[in-house]
Amino acid sequence: MSLVVSRCIGGVLSRQAAASRLFLGECNPAVQSPWFSPVATLKTSAPLRAEPKKKKKADPRREIMVRERLKKKLKKLERVPPEFIPIEDFITPTKCLDETRERIPPTLSFEESESRALLLKEWSRYKQKQHMAEVEAIELALEAQREALEELKMESEELYLAALKPDPLLLPFTHEGPAYTPPIPNYDAPDGKYNDITRVYTQ
Amino acid sequence: MAAPCRKMASRSFPQLLCYFSRIAVGSGACRRFSVTPIDRATPRASTAADRATSPWSLMAAVCLQRLPVITADCSPIEQRFKQMLQQMELEKSLVSDHELRLMEDAERMSRRQADDYDSDEEDRGDQEIMMTQDLEDTWEQRLKNFQPAPRVRVSFPDLSSAQRCLADSLVLLAEQQVGAERLWLLPQAAWQEGETLRQTAERALDSVTAAGVKVTFLGNAPCGVYKYKLPKAARTEGSVGRKVFFFKAILADGAPGSAPTAPLLWVKKSELQKYLKPSYMMKVDRFILNL
Repeated sequence: MSLVVSRCIGGVLSRQAAASRLFLGECNPAVQSPWFSPVATLKTSAPLRAEPKKKKKADPRREIMVRERLKKKLKKLERVPPEFIPIEDFITPTKCLDETRERIPPTLSFEESESRALLLKEWSRYKQKQHMAEVEAIELALEAQREALEELKMESEELYLAALKPDPLLLPFTHEGPAYTPPIPNYDAPDGKYNDITRVYTQ
Repeated sequence: MAAPCRKMASRSFPQLLCYFSRIAVGSGACRRFSVTPIDRATPRASTAADRATSPWSLMAAVCLQRLPVITADCSPIEQRFKQMLQQMELEKSLVSDHELRLMEDAERMSRRQADDYDSDEEDRGDQEIMMTQDLEDTWEQRLKNFQPAPRVRVSFPDLSSAQRCLADSLVLLAEQQVGAERLWLLPQAAWQEGETLRQTAERALDSVTAAGVKVTFLGNAPCGVYKYKLPKAARTEGSVGRKVFFFKAILADGAPGSAPTAPLLWVKKSELQKYLKPSYMMKVDRFILNL
């Protein structure tokens, strides 16, 4: 009797298991445990199923926009202006700021300072006279030239136009100015030696 | 209101023309300005007619200058000012490296002469061998070894040499036959058909100096003019008088040629009066600058 009961129960159980297996086989064939009560559908979500994320249509455009903005920012940061070449003349060398190099300013007597002031005034008067004489001389020369060109125009138009033409061979015109002593004839000047220590900057 | 405006407008246009012509004339080497387009249409016929009717015969002369070779001496006020300026600049300046060395050397000497002199402390192995004073002496010695040419000459070259008066600018004068007499004047030559006046001036210079003289003519435009009427005996129908146009040139080389064909003089501006005729001198004086 117990054997029959057990056989019946086993049969019922197996029937039940088979039925459940049949049900489960549709949804989740991996799970084959007899303790699971079959549900209509098993709750699954995309991450559980390990599917790729579904994107909306505006997203690719948004991504492209974000990438472009980042690139622009990078470009702005990379655009460094070239460093300026320092002007050597405007930088006071530290040697000049040394205190030990300062001279003691001398005390001038009243006569000395007076004579200096008077000499300066005399000099300005002398230079002014010199300048006015120069200006006058140049104006006279210009006047003479103007007269000459007028007379030439009265004479012949052709020569006048030829005189007005610029001379292309004149410029560049160089002339050695006066030195302190006259040049020694047939003098062979020795070559000077020098070390060129100018700094060359590259940008 | 309308009438005065029109008058102003008509007056301003010729003024503009004069202004342009003054600018063009003022500078020797200037641009050609096209203010008279009508004249350019018939140049050939008008010039031939002009030359035929004009009673003046043209000549071109050259004013060749040898510029100063040495600097002029300072006038008394210039010397005084130079000294004062040097003094003032010295007072305002900083001490130089050389002066610092001199001061250090002097200090070291004074310390050596002092009673409590410790040679081990002061003298080190890597001290300079040369004292600054010795350096100065070597420099002076080297300067004395060089003999420059003297500024003031012992023997004065004569008037026909271009090496006289090195501190002033000299002008070339030539003695030429003018009419019946021989006069001292700037070398001139008569203008011939087919050449510009500047070429005439170059020809004049070549006829007076030897070949191989390096001369730079300053532009195509003349710098002065001198016109004179011939004496009644010499006047013909074609020429009542002569117009001499002067062209400026600068002597580039040191020696202006070996043997000139005609007697030459190199004179300063102050000596010109002795050789030139007064009316000629008046015109020439204006464009010879003694600056």
